[in-house]
Amino acid sequence: MKKNDKKVLFVIPAYNEEENIKKVLDEIKKDASFADILVINDCSRDNTKKIVLENDVKCIDNIFNMRYAWAVQTGIKYAYQNNYDYVVQIDADGQHIAKEAVKLVECAEKENADIVIGSRYLKDMGYPCPLFRRVGTKMFEWTIKCFCHERIADPLSGFQCLNRRIIEKYSKMGEYPEFPDANLIIDMLMNGYKIVEVPVKMRLRENGESMHGGIIKPIKYMINMFYTIFFIVIQNIGWRRRKNHE
Amino acid sequence: MNRSYFIILSIIVILYVVNIVRKKKFSIKESFWWVFASVVMLLLSIFPYSIDWFAKKIGVDYPPSLLFVLCIIFLLFINFRNSRRIAELQMKVVELGQELAIVKEKVNRDEK
Repeated sequence: MKKNDKKVLFVIPAYNEEENIKKVLDEIKKDASFADILVINDCSRDNTKKIVLENDVKCIDNIFNMRYAWAVQTGIKYAYQNNYDYVVQIDADGQHIAKEAVKLVECAEKENADIVIGSRYLKDMGYPCPLFRRVGTKMFEWTIKCFCHERIADPLSGFQCLNRRIIEKYSKMGEYPEFPDANLIIDMLMNGYKIVEVPVKMRLRENGESMHGGIIKPIKYMINMFYTIFFIVIQNIGWRRRKNHE
Repeated sequence: MNRSYFIILSIIVILYVVNIVRKKKFSIKESFWWVFASVVMLLLSIFPYSIDWFAKKIGVDYPPSLLFVLCIIFLLFINFRNSRRIAELQMKVVELGQELAIVKEKVNRDEK
């Protein structure tokens, strides 16, 4: 990628990721050298912060643990206040590959898309996936199709590239959802933003624990998600939608 | 005879609420519904048969149940109001935290 006139920020929310974060940072520096990196240290109890600062990367310390979504929003607000054109959300656990992130930015520029989602399932990229998760993803895919008539194959992907328009929208959003997945996508589609998917490769995580582990948590997550989607659809029917199309 | 206990109890509640507001340990705005509730309690303990009269007016056969219903409605109302406040406050706290984190980073950068 040669165009350096656009400011790109990689936002990495990190919580206790001392084993993985160094690799992620090195990879981004190597493969996406045009971009700035910002780590959101979400009150980690280990050496995450030290490692980040040793690598000479910008680091924002949240003063209390906000968990994933609001940590990401902190990064987006930072990008908004510092006039970045694109934000790439990338995980600190090494699942997301920096080379693929460049594709996302290129796509956002070329297609003038507001959100570009790095998708595991758009083509078969050889990402192994547990059955339960697969079924869940399919359910969200249908839900989005039902309300917005668009196919988003991987609405759970946290690997996204946001442009200026959506950065502004997110940072001024009062209630940024706790899990910004299918619900946020439906919200943005209903508000007339353009979302494009790009097939990407992803790795399986090596160290540490996933956000959605266990048995109870995914069930709670599903209930929460459909409940949220219900309200988002209700909020968007009527005047807000019309206002946006005028 | 029973009546006087309840009169004393509700007077204590009123005095307690008024006193913590006076000492500025409770906001005037938030105290309103508690003072309101304790005044209602006082009135009911002075005129216990008013509840029978009221129940007859709106067609409730068993007057004490009306008292329970009113209490439950009041408590639900207060509880819902509290939930709403908590949600509002949580949003504000998150926003403050985010802004503070960003400003802190900027200050650190400028110092270097």
